[in-house]
Amino acid sequence: MAATNVVSARRPPRSSSRAKRRSRTFYLFITPWLLGLIFLTLIPFIFGFVISLTNYDGINLPTVKFVGLDNYIRAFSDQYVSFSIGRTLVWTAFNLPIWLGLSFLLALILNQDVKGRDFFRTLYYLPSVVPAVAAVTVWKILLDKNNGFLNGVISLFQPGTAVGWLTTYALQGMTAIAVWSGLGGGMVIFLAGLQNIPDELVEAAKIDGAGSWQIFQYITLPLMTPIIFFQLIMGLIGSFQQLVYPLLLATVTGQYVSVPPRSIYLYMIHTYQQIFANQRYGYGTALLWLLTIGVTALTLIVFWSQKFWVYSGDIPETEGSS
Amino acid sequence: MSQKKISRRELLKLSGTVISGAILASCTPASTPTAAPTEPPAATAAPTVAPGATAAPTVAPTSAPPPKAVEGNVVVMAQRNELSEDQEAQFEAENPGITIELVEQSTERFFAMLAAGAQLDLYRTQAPIVPSLLARKLLYDLTPYFEASELIKIDDLADANKGYWAESALEVGSGKIYGMVKDFSPDHTVWVNDAKFEEAGITPVDDTTPMTYEQWHDLANQVAKFEGDRIATWGFGYSNGWIDRIWMDRLAETGKSLYKDGFTKIDFGDDTKALANYFYTVAKERLCESPVDASPNGWAGGDFAAGILATMQYGYWFGGMCETDANRGKVRMLPAPTWSGVHQDPTVTATGFVMMSGTQVPDAAWKVFEWYMGGQPSIDRAGSGWGVPALKSQWSLMPNTTPFHQQVQKVLAGELAVSNVKLQYNPFLGEGSFYNAWNTHLNEALTGTITFDELCSLTEKDVNTLISEGISRMS
Amino acid sequence: MNRRAKDLFIKRLNRAGSYAILIVVAVLVVTPIIWLLLSSLKQDSDYMAWPIHFLPINWQWINYERVFTLTPFVKIALRTAVLGISCSIIVAITSAMGGYAFARFQDVNGNSRLFRVIIVLLIVPGIVFMIPQFIVYSYVHLIPNTYWPWILGALVGSPLFIFLYRQFFLGFPKELEEAAELDGCNPFQIFWLIILPNAKPVIATVLIFAFNGIWSDYLQPTLFLNDQMQLLGAKMATAFVDPHGNALRTVSLAATVIYILPLVIVFFFGQKYILKGLVTSGLKG
Repeated sequence: MAATNVVSARRPPRSSSRAKRRSRTFYLFITPWLLGLIFLTLIPFIFGFVISLTNYDGINLPTVKFVGLDNYIRAFSDQYVSFSIGRTLVWTAFNLPIWLGLSFLLALILNQDVKGRDFFRTLYYLPSVVPAVAAVTVWKILLDKNNGFLNGVISLFQPGTAVGWLTTYALQGMTAIAVWSGLGGGMVIFLAGLQNIPDELVEAAKIDGAGSWQIFQYITLPLMTPIIFFQLIMGLIGSFQQLVYPLLLATVTGQYVSVPPRSIYLYMIHTYQQIFANQRYGYGTALLWLLTIGVTALTLIVFWSQKFWVYSGDIPETEGSS
Repeated sequence: MSQKKISRRELLKLSGTVISGAILASCTPASTPTAAPTEPPAATAAPTVAPGATAAPTVAPTSAPPPKAVEGNVVVMAQRNELSEDQEAQFEAENPGITIELVEQSTERFFAMLAAGAQLDLYRTQAPIVPSLLARKLLYDLTPYFEASELIKIDDLADANKGYWAESALEVGSGKIYGMVKDFSPDHTVWVNDAKFEEAGITPVDDTTPMTYEQWHDLANQVAKFEGDRIATWGFGYSNGWIDRIWMDRLAETGKSLYKDGFTKIDFGDDTKALANYFYTVAKERLCESPVDASPNGWAGGDFAAGILATMQYGYWFGGMCETDANRGKVRMLPAPTWSGVHQDPTVTATGFVMMSGTQVPDAAWKVFEWYMGGQPSIDRAGSGWGVPALKSQWSLMPNTTPFHQQVQKVLAGELAVSNVKLQYNPFLGEGSFYNAWNTHLNEALTGTITFDELCSLTEKDVNTLISEGISRMS
Repeated sequence: MNRRAKDLFIKRLNRAGSYAILIVVAVLVVTPIIWLLLSSLKQDSDYMAWPIHFLPINWQWINYERVFTLTPFVKIALRTAVLGISCSIIVAITSAMGGYAFARFQDVNGNSRLFRVIIVLLIVPGIVFMIPQFIVYSYVHLIPNTYWPWILGALVGSPLFIFLYRQFFLGFPKELEEAAELDGCNPFQIFWLIILPNAKPVIATVLIFAFNGIWSDYLQPTLFLNDQMQLLGAKMATAFVDPHGNALRTVSLAATVIYILPLVIVFFFGQKYILKGLVTSGLKG
C-alpha cells in the first residue's frame, strides 16, 4: 500500500547503482568459494589435465614424456572403454529410477503424520551411514553364490540352488546394495524439500476442495521439482562415477587387482585398473577427463530441459493473506 | 528487532568455532613424537661419520672426539600392525634423537609421495618389486651398513634375502645389498584339511614325498563336494593374485623363464600354455576361487580356516592362523608339489624393507632398519610362528611345542633346504599388471565369451604391451 | 454423504497402503543391519557358515573388546569427531552463502557461468585431484601433519552443498527478503537474520552430510596424514588385521557397528530440526 508506492517511486533512477550493489553483494557472498576455486581447485585441475598428456606411471617423474593427445585418442580404440561405457549406461538406467522413485515415495509417506515416523525415518537412514566396505561384506553374506542367505532360503524350495547374485546377476545384486545404501540420503533431501512447502498453501487448497492427489499434482510435485532436479543430477553424476561397489564386489582380489564380474565392469573400474594395476596414470587421467566431458554434456542437456519441467519461481500468494 | 540480538550471540559462537577449528588445525597433538611437523628434511640429521668408515687417516684415534649421536626423524611406510606404537616408543627410548613416523602402507600414498618429493626413508615392499624399483634408481645401497653392522651378520642372512641383492635391475640375486626380508616362508607348501579327505574316503596324503601338480588336481577333484549347483567343499586353493610368480617358479624348475628376449616379451610357448591350461581347468571345474565363484569368506585362506576348503597352497606363515575350531587337529602342511619333477620351494613375496635413495637421514634410517630386522622386534616375530626368521640364527625360535607345530617344522626343514632359487622378476612390469590381464581374460573365458586359446593370446598381447610401455617409461 | 464416505475410504486405503509399503521396505532395510549386528558377534570361521547359523555359536563379545585394544579407537574417534563437527558447521555457513548468492542474484552478470563451474566440479571424479592436491599441499607444508586441508576445504564451501542450498533458496518466498530490504537491512543482515534461521531443514541436512563425509572419509586422510594424526575412516580400513595383515572380518564388523553409532545419533537429533520451517511466520507478523 503505502510501502508499495514508495518502492515504485524509488525504482527507476536507482536501477544502475542497484545493479552494481547487487553484483558486489553476489561476489562478496561467493568470495570464499572463489578463493577455493583458484587456489585449491584450479591448480590441481590443471595439473591433473597435464598428467593426462604424459606417460606418467606414478614413479617415473624424472623420465616422464609428453605424449600429447595420444591417451585421448587411445580411448576411442580401446574396446574395453566402449564395453564399460555400455555397462555404465545399463547400470544407470537400472539403478537411478529405482533409487529416485523409492526415496521420493518414502519421503512422501513419512511427510505425513504416520505413527512411528521418527522410527521409520531413522531406520531408512541407517544403511547410508554404514560404510561401503561393511555394507558390501554384509550383502555378500546374503547374496553369496555358494553360501549365501538368499540362496539358502531358495534352496528350501529348490535344493541345490546357487544363483550368482553377485556374479552372473551382479547388476541386480549391486543395485540392491546401492539402493539400500542410498535410500536414506535421498529420502532426507526429499523430506527437507517437502517440509519447505508452506502449510497455508495446502490448507487453502483443501478448503477449496482439492483431494490429496490434486494437492500432489498441483502443489507438491511442482514445488518439489527443483529438488527432484538436484537429485537427478546428483544421481546421474554418482552413477557414472560409481567405483566403490564394483571394486568391493571384485571376485578376484590381489593387492592391486580388482576384477569384478563382467556385468558390472563400469567405466571407473576400467579407469582404476589402468591407473593402479597397469600403472598407466596418464591414460587413466585422460579417461577421467573424457568421463567429465561426457557427463558434463549430459548434465547440460538435463539443465537445458529444466525450463520445461522445473519450477523456479515464487511460491504463489494465496488469496486472503496479507 | 529482537532477532538482531540473537544473531550477535550466534555470530560470536560461530566465530569461536572457526577460531577453534583453526587452532585445532595448526596444533600438533601432544602424542606426536615428531620434533616439528613440517621442517624440511635438510634441517634434521647432522651428518655423522658412517660406521666403520675411517675419517682422515692421520688423526690419532685416542684424542678423537666421540662420534656424534645419530639423530633424525625417520619416515617409514609400513603397516601399523607390524610396527606398533609400543615398539616405536621402546626404540625411541633406547635411541634418543631418532624418532619414527609411520605412514600406513598405500599405493596411492606412495605414488603421491614420490611425485611430491615428500620425505620417505624406509619402504615396505616385496622382493619381486625390487627390480622395478631399482630400474628407477629408487633404492639406497645398504652394503656398507650391513658390512659394519654388529647386530646383523651377512652370513647369518637366510637365502630368501638374496631377492634384495642385485648388481642391476636385471641381475638380482647377488651383488649390492638393498634390503632385507622381515620374515619369509617357502610359499609353495600345501596345507590340507584331513577331515575333508576322510569325508570323501581318501587316505590322507603322505607328507614326506612331494606330490605332483597332476596328483594334486586329481585329489582336488576327489575331495570336492557339490550339492546341486552349490560348492559344498572346495577342492583347490592357491594364491590367485601371485599367478605370474607361481608360473615363474614352475618354469624355473627346469631353468626356463616366463620372459624372453631380455625380459622384453612374455614367452607364451607350450610350457607356459600348459601352466595356463592347468589353472584354467581348475577354475572351470569349479574347484577353486575364481572370477565366477567368489570365495565365501573373502579369501581362500578364510575358507580354509572355516573348514570348507580341503587344500590350500600358502607358505609357512599360514600356520599362524589356519587352525580354528572348524578344523583343529586335522591340519597338516605338505611339501611343495612339483610341476616337472624338480622339488623346489622358493619364497614368493619375501616381504621386507628397503631404504629410498632420496633419504636425507640414512644413518638414522639404518638404525631403525637394523633394530627392526635384527633387534627385539625380529625376535618377537620369530616366536610368533608367522614366518621363518630372516636370520638363520633365529630359526630355533620358531614355535615347536604342539604336534601341529612339530609336523609343520618337520616339513618346513625339508622345504628350506630347497628354497634357494635364483628368481629374476621383470623390472619393466608393474606390480599388478600381469594378474590384472590374466584374471580379466580368465573372467571372459569362464563366462564363455572367449576360448582358452584366445585367453592365452590376449594375455600375451596385453603383457607384451605393458612391458614395452614400461621400457619406454624408463628411458 | 456419498462423497465423504468415498473420501474416507480412499483416505483409509491410503493409510493402509502407506503402512504396507513402510513395513515391507523396513523389513528389507533392516535385514542386512540385523545380519551385521549378528555377524559382528560371530567368529570368522562362523559368519559365512553353511547351513546358515542365525545366531552365533559362540557369542564373541570379545570382538567388541578387541576393537578398542587393537587400536586407540576412542582417541582417534574423538579427534575425528571434533574435526567433523567444526568443519561441518563452517561448511554449512560458507556453502549457504554461496547457495544464496547463486539462487537470489540471478540478474548478476556471471552468475550462470560460475554456477556451471560448480556443476562441472561435481562431475570431475575425485581421483583426478588426488596426486596434484597432494603435491600442492605438500609444497606449502600443509601436510602430512596438520588438519588444514579439511579446515580450508570447509572454509571455501563445497560445490555439492552450494548446489543443494541454491535449489532450496530458489523456492523461498521473496516477500520476507523484500520486506527486510524495505526496512533498511543490508544483504548480510538479510542473510543472517532472515534466510539462515528459516533454512533449518537444509542446514540440518548439510550438517548431517558434512559430518558424515568427514567421519567416513578414507582416501583423503590416507593420503594427507601420517599414522599419529590419523582419522577414523582411514584407520577402519587397516587397523583390524592379524599379524600377517589379513583382515579380521568379524572384528571389523564389530568396529563398524561402533563406528556408525555417532552417525545414527547425529541423524536422530538432526532430523528433529528437519521440521517444518518457519517460512510463513514472518508474513503474518
